[in-house]
Amino acid sequence: MKRSLVGEPGQLRTSLRGRTLSGLALFLFLAVISAPLLRAQQTDAPSNSNKQSEEALLQRVVQLEARLKEVEAALAKAQPGAAPAASAPPSAAAPTFTASPAPQEATRVPQLQAEQTEQEPMDLNRTLLRIRGYSDVNLHGSTLRGDPASTTAFGLGQVNLFVTSDVSDKFKFLSEIVFEAGSDNAFGVDVERMLLTYSFNDYLNVSVGRYHTAIGYYNTAYHHSTWFQTATGRPFLFAFEDQGGILPIHNVGASITGKVPSGSLGLHYVAEMGNGRAYRTTEPVQNTVDENTHKALNFAIFARPETIRGLQIGFSVYRDLLTPAAPPAIAETILAAHAVYTGLDFEWLNEALLIRNAPQGTPRVFNTPGFYSQISRRFHSYRPYFRYQYVNAPSSEPIFSPNVGLQHGPSFGLRYDMSEFVAVKMQYDYTMLRGDRAFHTVAFQTGFTF
Amino acid sequence: MASRWIVFCFFFGAATLLSGGLSAGLDAQSRGAADDSLAIVVNRTNPVENLSFPELRRIFLGEQTHWSNGRRITLVMLEPGNSERQAVLVQIYKMGEKDFNSYFLHGMFTGEIHAAPKALPSSAEVLKFVLNVPGAIGYVKAPDVNDSVKVVRVESRLPSEKDYLLRLRGKLPK
Repeated sequence: MKRSLVGEPGQLRTSLRGRTLSGLALFLFLAVISAPLLRAQQTDAPSNSNKQSEEALLQRVVQLEARLKEVEAALAKAQPGAAPAASAPPSAAAPTFTASPAPQEATRVPQLQAEQTEQEPMDLNRTLLRIRGYSDVNLHGSTLRGDPASTTAFGLGQVNLFVTSDVSDKFKFLSEIVFEAGSDNAFGVDVERMLLTYSFNDYLNVSVGRYHTAIGYYNTAYHHSTWFQTATGRPFLFAFEDQGGILPIHNVGASITGKVPSGSLGLHYVAEMGNGRAYRTTEPVQNTVDENTHKALNFAIFARPETIRGLQIGFSVYRDLLTPAAPPAIAETILAAHAVYTGLDFEWLNEALLIRNAPQGTPRVFNTPGFYSQISRRFHSYRPYFRYQYVNAPSSEPIFSPNVGLQHGPSFGLRYDMSEFVAVKMQYDYTMLRGDRAFHTVAFQTGFTF
Repeated sequence: MASRWIVFCFFFGAATLLSGGLSAGLDAQSRGAADDSLAIVVNRTNPVENLSFPELRRIFLGEQTHWSNGRRITLVMLEPGNSERQAVLVQIYKMGEKDFNSYFLHGMFTGEIHAAPKALPSSAEVLKFVLNVPGAIGYVKAPDVNDSVKVVRVESRLPSEKDYLLRLRGKLPK
């Protein structure tokens, strides 16, 4: 069958109808697509009602005026001696959810203000200090014989003034100034912490001053405030030096801290170098003079996995050389490990450490192991807790007081948060000693921050 | 011929009305989503464009203290009693007001947190603060945002977009 190039009139009509319909379909499609655009253009088009146009123009004028005032204010600040301009609030333009860079004009003002903030000189009339206080009052009694401090008595705890300051964008200052009465009832003042820190970034912070040695967890988590602590006091492994503690809790020197790039593992490191503990003097912390030129070194690493918030697992090694008046010198190594979980409601602290004191030139090594485990659970404002602690120092240990020896036993307690800033605690301890009778201790404490 | 034009005009009119209606509906829907959203805002000079939710949480918890350009992060919050603050406490911090205070007091005491978030009374104050402090980050209701600050995407989404995480009455993000 021969096909005609022109075709029959009926075929031509069908073809034209098909083209018309497809063209109509295309037109309708374009109309659907372009309708919102047309609509949007119509909104801004001057052919709309005059009232809308006027309102839009007025709004724009207001925005421009506000912007002009901001520029004038910024320029006035930049030029010394210029009359101060009233600061204009940011323009109340319609919400924009663009994350793309704004036009150059829009960014100029914030940039200028940012530069102003950076170059702002120190205002000598304005204090940079922030002060918060922590303290506690106790009532305690014990059945321990021969200890003058074991009589039932009210006791003032430490009055801790925690002072911080933003020295600059990178420098910060922190200190704990503690007023404390000793067993002679006389008050004394100690600067327990004093640190100036320079923060390069999240991975490198350099500090100098007096700090709490990063041995284990407790020492750097609670410092000198009982209010933060669940129990009435520190585990005796972490007792302060002037309260019979066996660790170099404080140190004077320099430290480097920061994160280790480790993704969700959340690794952190601490490296410290300081004077270490004193051996010959009654003041255990070598604030200004060191008995030897050997420096105490401590390195700690710990992980805070992002998947289990509140969990921290870590390890630390401390090394120092103690020099008694009569040789030999004693090489001290402290190994510590911890696994703690501190959630909002549940808390479980576990720490173990080993103190190795090795007099140089002799084969003897004195090992003092210790650990504690503490568990607590919050029920509304109440938090019952339990702690078991253990420390075992050899009787011939050359560094520690003979009173340390073997001590172990459980503690039970209840913390009640009376308000956001006041906590009342009561605790019972049963402590067993080597070669002596076990003793009971009961303590009530009101800890607070102000 | 005339009947064809009538059909054409009918379809064209219907299509225009339909598309206009759909568009208006979509606009209303996105406006509704944006009205309920919390926008995370930073200074315009800040190079950050997008934050993952874990990153946002680290910043708000004070665990990340510096931006990628080395500038220190300054966190600004609205004062207690504010619905936006409540939403942030629930969705980002996952803690109440008391635990929030305790968290920052403890963090500052250990020295791990440099400073507690600055608390301001209104969204306008927050915007002004973010405008003036290059390292600042804060939040306001999405309709309160103006062009003095930059809105950061959270999990690659802007407040006006569907499945945006931070809402005044949003679900707890995983």
